[in-house]
Amino acid sequence: MEKLSLPQVTVLYFARSAELTGLREEELVAVPTPISSGDLWALLLRKQPRLVALQSRVILAVRRQYVAIGNQRLSLQDGDEVAVVPPLSGG
Amino acid sequence: MAQEVCSLKAQLEEKEKEIAHLKNKLALLEKSNASVLEVQDKVTPLNPLTAKPALSNEDIMRYSRQLLLPELGVKGQLNLSGASVLIVGCGGLGCPLAQYLAAAGVGRLGLLDYDEVELSNLHRQVLHGEENQGQAKALSAARAVKRLNSTVECIPYHLQLSPKNALQLIQQYDIVADCSDNVPTRYLVNDACVLSGKPLVSASALRMEGQLTVYNYCGGPCYRCLYPLPPPPETVTNCSDGGVLGVVPGIMGCFQALEVLKIASGQASSCGQQLLMFDAQGFRFRPIRLRPKQADCAVCGESPSVTQLIDYEAFCGSAATDKCRKLNLLSKDQRITVQEYKSVVDNSGLHILLDVRPLVEVDICHLPFSLNIPLSSLEQRKSEDIQLLQQRIVQLKQQMAGDCQPPVYVICKLGNDSQKAVQVLEKMSGSELDNITVKDICGGLMAWATKIDTRFPQY
Ligand SMILES: [Zn+2]
Repeated sequence: MEKLSLPQVTVLYFARSAELTGLREEELVAVPTPISSGDLWALLLRKQPRLVALQSRVILAVRRQYVAIGNQRLSLQDGDEVAVVPPLSGG
Repeated sequence: MAQEVCSLKAQLEEKEKEIAHLKNKLALLEKSNASVLEVQDKVTPLNPLTAKPALSNEDIMRYSRQLLLPELGVKGQLNLSGASVLIVGCGGLGCPLAQYLAAAGVGRLGLLDYDEVELSNLHRQVLHGEENQGQAKALSAARAVKRLNSTVECIPYHLQLSPKNALQLIQQYDIVADCSDNVPTRYLVNDACVLSGKPLVSASALRMEGQLTVYNYCGGPCYRCLYPLPPPPETVTNCSDGGVLGVVPGIMGCFQALEVLKIASGQASSCGQQLLMFDAQGFRFRPIRLRPKQADCAVCGESPSVTQLIDYEAFCGSAATDKCRKLNLLSKDQRITVQEYKSVVDNSGLHILLDVRPLVEVDICHLPFSLNIPLSSLEQRKSEDIQLLQQRIVQLKQQMAGDCQPPVYVICKLGNDSQKAVQVLEKMSGSELDNITVKDICGGLMAWATKIDTRFPQY
């Protein structure tokens, strides 16, 4: 029998998401995989409820690749990087 | 006789010198007159710009160090001479961008900004000097750029980009660089670029972070493909309230210059389907691969709903400026003016002055006897802060006769956060805190500085 272990991923917070969470990064342990991108976002919201302010106005990137928050199926591995990137508008 | 000849010769020589001097003076004046910069306060048609047929000896010397690059070469340099770039915003991003584009020999630069140079701009907007304070930024930037390279045609636009003028302006340029400082302008520039088919090299910066993407370029997404909905205005932080380390937009503006030069010279940009994020604190660059343009995008999609420019301030719910908005969350009896507060102080009225700014701002300046609890701590109900406030309320109650409610006056920089804090405190009054009377001090410390104590610092 193969031992089932759920991956641990690193979540990086940028711009407003770093302000809202007070964090630049955090570890997310035992993330179910495969997981839909919508469920991954919901998981982040449970962990950091204040992120709801960014709902549908944020870029989510997994392994430095844009994912649309919705039905996209993601296979996560240990050490994967998830980035939460709201737009910056200053200049 | 001989003496007279000598004297006449000397006089003639003197007059010839004078004539030569006058000719020189005239030539100089005429030359500087030819390069006088005329500020445009509206969009007018420009003469077509054509690339130089060949490089002059002066060009070869001036651009020699970049001509040596096989990536650019003579062909790339000639392409630059025929390229026009519109820079929207001559601030922290636009200054270094304009500087490098002019230095590299881009044919025509449109420099647009509606603001004037202020002292608080100089730490990041490095084309402007102390003597330019009060001048139109577009003109100040154009003059600085002209000094660097007089062969570049510079057109300063001292005007607000709007749905009325944006298309006419953007259509006249080959490449657009978004160096603006607010959300409505970002959507406006995006839509105008999509509608007129121009690549948009866009950068932004705040605090210690920057972002860069080339939109509407080679099948890549536009700004709306990524951000179909604008952020709620109350969640947007701008440089005037969030702060920014000058070198961060400096770095991002240089990256913009790099991508503009690649596109203008005929090489491809590598940022078309990429978002580059720069974390200056951790010194990390992180490219994120974006998806291609979206078929259902409102402006660049297959059946777009936005086919002409719209009202972007209404769309975003905020003004096209980075100046702070004035919130109006409270009723009149929940607020007092700085003059009224001054008389409370003068009459030694018992009260608590609660300063809800972040600690970093309290370190810049504060009123004596204020208690500092940042708005965010109140919102998050940080227990040690709430306890501290409760203690002060209890102390004050003991000093006060009878059982009236202790007054708490709330202050911040401009009077927005203090209103939010009043709302939070009113909810807590009588439950998490003893009963209090909470009032907002209108206009905050900056009103105090202008109306009560002019020695109080402004920032
Ligand atoms: Zn689009």
